[in-house]
Amino acid sequence: MTVDMVIGASVLAATLRLAAPILLAALGGVISERAGVVNIALEGSMLVGAFVGIVAAEQTDSIVIGVAAAIIAGTLLAGIHAIAAIHWRSDQIVSGMALNILALGLTSYLNFQLYGTTGTPADVPDLPTVADQSILVWVSLALVPLTHLFLFGTVSGLRLRAVGEHPRAAETVGIGVRRVRYAAVLASGALAGLGGAYLSLSVAHSFTDGMTAGRGFIGLAAVIFGKWSPIGALVAALLFGYGNALSTSLQGATIGDTRVPVQLLGTLPYLLTILAVAGFVGRSRPPAADGVPYEKEGH
Amino acid sequence: MSGGAPTATGPGPGGPAPSVRQPAMQWATGPAVPVISVIVALLLGAVFVAATGNDPIAAYAALARGAFGTPYDITETLVSAIPLVLTGLSVAVAFRTGLFNIGAEGQLLVGALAAGAVGARFAELPGPLLMPLVILAGILAGAGYGAIAGVLKAARGVNEVITTIMLNYIVVFVMHWLLQSGPMTAPSALGTPASARIGDGAILPVILPNELVPLSRLHAGILLAALAVAVFWFLLWRTSLGYELRAVGLGARAAAQAGIDPARRMALVMAIAGAFAGLAGMIQVSGVFQRVFDGFSSGYGFDAIAVALLGKNSPLGIVAAALLFGAFAHGGAIMQSNAGISSHLVSIIQALVLFVIAAEAIVRGIAGRSRRGRKPVEAIA
Amino acid sequence: MTALLEMQGIRKRFGELVALDGVDLSVEERDVHALLGENGAGKSTLMNVLYGLYAPDGGRILLRGEDARIGGPRDAIARGIGMIHQHFMLIPPLTVTENVVLGDERTGALLDRRVIRERVRELQSRFGIEVDPDARVEDLPLGLQQRVEILKVLYRGSDLLVFDEPTAVLTPQEVDELFAIVRTLREQGKTVILITHKLREVFAVTDRITVLRLGRNAGSLVTSATTAGEIARLMVGRELRELRPRATAGSRDVVLEVTGLGALSDRGTPALLDVGLTVHAGEVLGIAGIGGNGQSELAECIMGLRRPTAGDMRIGGADVSRDGPRRTRAGGVCYVPEDRRREGLVLAFTVADNLILGKQAGPPYATFGVLDPQVIEREGALLAREFDVRPPNPLAIAGNLSGGNQQKVVLGRELSSSPRLIVVSQPSRGLDIAATEYVHDRLLEQRARGAAILLISSELDEIRALSDRIAVMYEGRIVATLPAAEATEERLGLLMAGHESAGAA
Repeated sequence: MTVDMVIGASVLAATLRLAAPILLAALGGVISERAGVVNIALEGSMLVGAFVGIVAAEQTDSIVIGVAAAIIAGTLLAGIHAIAAIHWRSDQIVSGMALNILALGLTSYLNFQLYGTTGTPADVPDLPTVADQSILVWVSLALVPLTHLFLFGTVSGLRLRAVGEHPRAAETVGIGVRRVRYAAVLASGALAGLGGAYLSLSVAHSFTDGMTAGRGFIGLAAVIFGKWSPIGALVAALLFGYGNALSTSLQGATIGDTRVPVQLLGTLPYLLTILAVAGFVGRSRPPAADGVPYEKEGH
Repeated sequence: MSGGAPTATGPGPGGPAPSVRQPAMQWATGPAVPVISVIVALLLGAVFVAATGNDPIAAYAALARGAFGTPYDITETLVSAIPLVLTGLSVAVAFRTGLFNIGAEGQLLVGALAAGAVGARFAELPGPLLMPLVILAGILAGAGYGAIAGVLKAARGVNEVITTIMLNYIVVFVMHWLLQSGPMTAPSALGTPASARIGDGAILPVILPNELVPLSRLHAGILLAALAVAVFWFLLWRTSLGYELRAVGLGARAAAQAGIDPARRMALVMAIAGAFAGLAGMIQVSGVFQRVFDGFSSGYGFDAIAVALLGKNSPLGIVAAALLFGAFAHGGAIMQSNAGISSHLVSIIQALVLFVIAAEAIVRGIAGRSRRGRKPVEAIA
Repeated sequence: MTALLEMQGIRKRFGELVALDGVDLSVEERDVHALLGENGAGKSTLMNVLYGLYAPDGGRILLRGEDARIGGPRDAIARGIGMIHQHFMLIPPLTVTENVVLGDERTGALLDRRVIRERVRELQSRFGIEVDPDARVEDLPLGLQQRVEILKVLYRGSDLLVFDEPTAVLTPQEVDELFAIVRTLREQGKTVILITHKLREVFAVTDRITVLRLGRNAGSLVTSATTAGEIARLMVGRELRELRPRATAGSRDVVLEVTGLGALSDRGTPALLDVGLTVHAGEVLGIAGIGGNGQSELAECIMGLRRPTAGDMRIGGADVSRDGPRRTRAGGVCYVPEDRRREGLVLAFTVADNLILGKQAGPPYATFGVLDPQVIEREGALLAREFDVRPPNPLAIAGNLSGGNQQKVVLGRELSSSPRLIVVSQPSRGLDIAATEYVHDRLLEQRARGAAILLISSELDEIRALSDRIAVMYEGRIVATLPAAEATEERLGLLMAGHESAGAA
């Protein structure tokens, strides 16, 4: 094991590369949960984004259309969650679970239908890179201050936070709770869809069944570990990405005679998140109405 | 995922949010709503199959034939249903206490790891000694893993949905380590990292003679599953503890003032939930695979949520829902090889079932019942 | 001169229940108008209709003589109607300023904090309402939170302010300050509707009165030309019940003895300070006081549901300060909690199952942890009949019973074990008159049997009807304990308002 394996340039570059999709999902999660809707279908939005992104890019030979289609696909899946959670007041966890299974089933089914067992074609156009990183990495980083400004520096952000904390109070001052929540959930799906596009179009250059492999859930963990703030989510995503990068970099490395159990590094995001919600790493408190369906009175 | 007590100025909904997680309160008795959910899901699935240029009738016919076409298929459907029954019980017992156990998947894996480890380590022991040991290992490991979420909930008020999701992933990575480079690593013929084979004494025997159903894998785990269903029923409806669990689930504050400590019951019920799921893992090791390997569970713990909800957290409902999903699992695979339609159609249908259940209001509308709103008295006060 | 607001023939039903049955309300400009009535009379429902939160099933609303259709709070606000809700509609983690402007920020897309703070400051100085504009609402005491609510409404240019039971959560001093603000509002040309059921407030600040009873108009009065007696008659629809004569308290054995008790509220603020009291066998000790002065915490401490931070509690001489609810109950203490729907009952359970709550672990209902359903149902049927639960079906779901019958189930469970100490909190809240009398009779029966009863109630009538001695709680302390005969309504009222000297008279 060498120092380079731990903080070398390639590890740090990998950290950014691995953090970006987590960050995009997490920013979506922050917006949605700040408005009071838990969206665990982020994973599903990412997966349909990844799939539709590849299909659209391959069909049109346009990377822009591929990315746009991925965003739309992620948004649509989130739209279903929004209807369930907001309009029908469904249980948000159950609906999210269902949509994750649906996304996995749909993309795998269509992948089989379109490409059989050969896999997606390899000749999809590539995303441009800036400073050796995909442009989407920089986009995801730029979205952090923008999301922060939106939440804490704009009228819409103020209203969104009000809706997530106390929807009835927001309603009494004329804020359309449902509208705000719809917008927030759709935005979270768009961001997760973009994260999916990044995974398939920029990292893997292909689609494989279930390729998001829980990144949407790591994004959810980053929301919680980052205390429902965009900057916190960035810190969490970088930390989780770093852990991920380490587990690749340290593959086969040894300390003395023992092989480093790199697989255990994968538990890091989840362990840290549990410690954070349990209050061992600073108390992490969700918005008061997070996950609580809102029912208008008397109508 | 709200936590913490509402403050004086906090949102004051007149009670817990309506939720499909507490069917006892929300759903009328009788199987109408679940049956409608399944029908709606099958119809939507058919539309989807047609939209992608396939014949839905042929697809469903192939699915049904795959699941029930031959005695062998029926036994395979049962084999698939066994772990679903147990994980379904795991999720349901937690629901009954007002908790959402998304961690059945992780608890199942921990139970399987423990059973696999014990079964291989003491492979030389005779069956009458080894089998109880392996069963115990699976149950205790699952219970211990479930208890983590329960204790965190009880002691620190941590939302169990978050912890169980996280714990599911933790065990996957620990399992990678154990099987790839850790103490359970064994030379594998499977082409994937796997543990050593368990001893013969740890294997659940096939219960149908080969002459009756050739090649059947239907193992004695089905008896354990049946026993678990009986235990579930007896525990919840015939014991003081079960009464207390249900009281906590339906009215934690009322239970607390009557001297039933909700926190302790919640910690306990997560251990019980983990025990059911751990037993599922043990049965998969002892009855089906004889070892643990990477990718061991095909999501039984997640399907369990749909099983529990579809079965309305009742013993017979869970058995029926597990059989349905078992039929989907086995029939789907046959459908893909015989009719050329992706077996993932089954996941789509399962997702739709779950989704339709979640959108309870819609189903109620279809069932012709008016949605039970807030009590008028409460609305005025 | 036409009235500012006319509500005519307003109807509203919730399922089976008719909440408003053709109610009229007429409010003059620049008046403070009291909307009076008992719990459930329809006051809040009527105001929610006015504010657009409930869609009425019939009737119309006129503002300055013109037909006004109010489809939601947005419409109401646009027409100059502002509501100060009983449960404050504030967002705790936001600042005072943010809460005031929320929904009507008028700063463009970006939030200009300086501009909005200035606007709030201006408003404060004009109406004499003091509160730090940069404080987070969750850090403010309730009295100041209410001012934020008032500022919110004024910020939106409301001319008609509706206060929904504004004094329920206030200390007496805060009430005085509130009324000063209300008077300033009237001087500044605003019109105020005050929903209340407290007569004192009506005479302190209002000009005119509309009384509702059971969803109908019971009368309209001019405050300066009426009496408390007349209003009370209209509210309850009958003469106030005579205090019933009863035997003097039996033995003088002390059952409950509390000394120097201290405890914290859920928010971590001191809720009980050096509380001391004794209750004897065969005696009812009434705890009077405005809600939120530590009464709930006192009951919870005694029941072992809240850890005391100081002091000592003895039941029959044995120290119970550290006991949890199970041990406390095992010692012959029972509890009729304040919130019967959430604390008293498991609403989804059957009546029979509710009747064994807390007794589920032992005989006769269970042996070695195994329940006996036959015994549970048989005993349930017996108790349901004995306590007049209607329908007397042990397998009925508790949540489907009326409030009065739910309370009978609670009483049946709690009183059937012949307790030596009964802690009762707000036992008749939300009940109709017949059910209230039933509850009172049962409690007096227990007193006659020799049980010690600690009765917590914010209804003075109830306290005076049942108690042998009356202790008054104010800001976490017992400020006086009086024999019932000396506890006139006036004296209790003064004590509840914090005039401690009244106790020494």
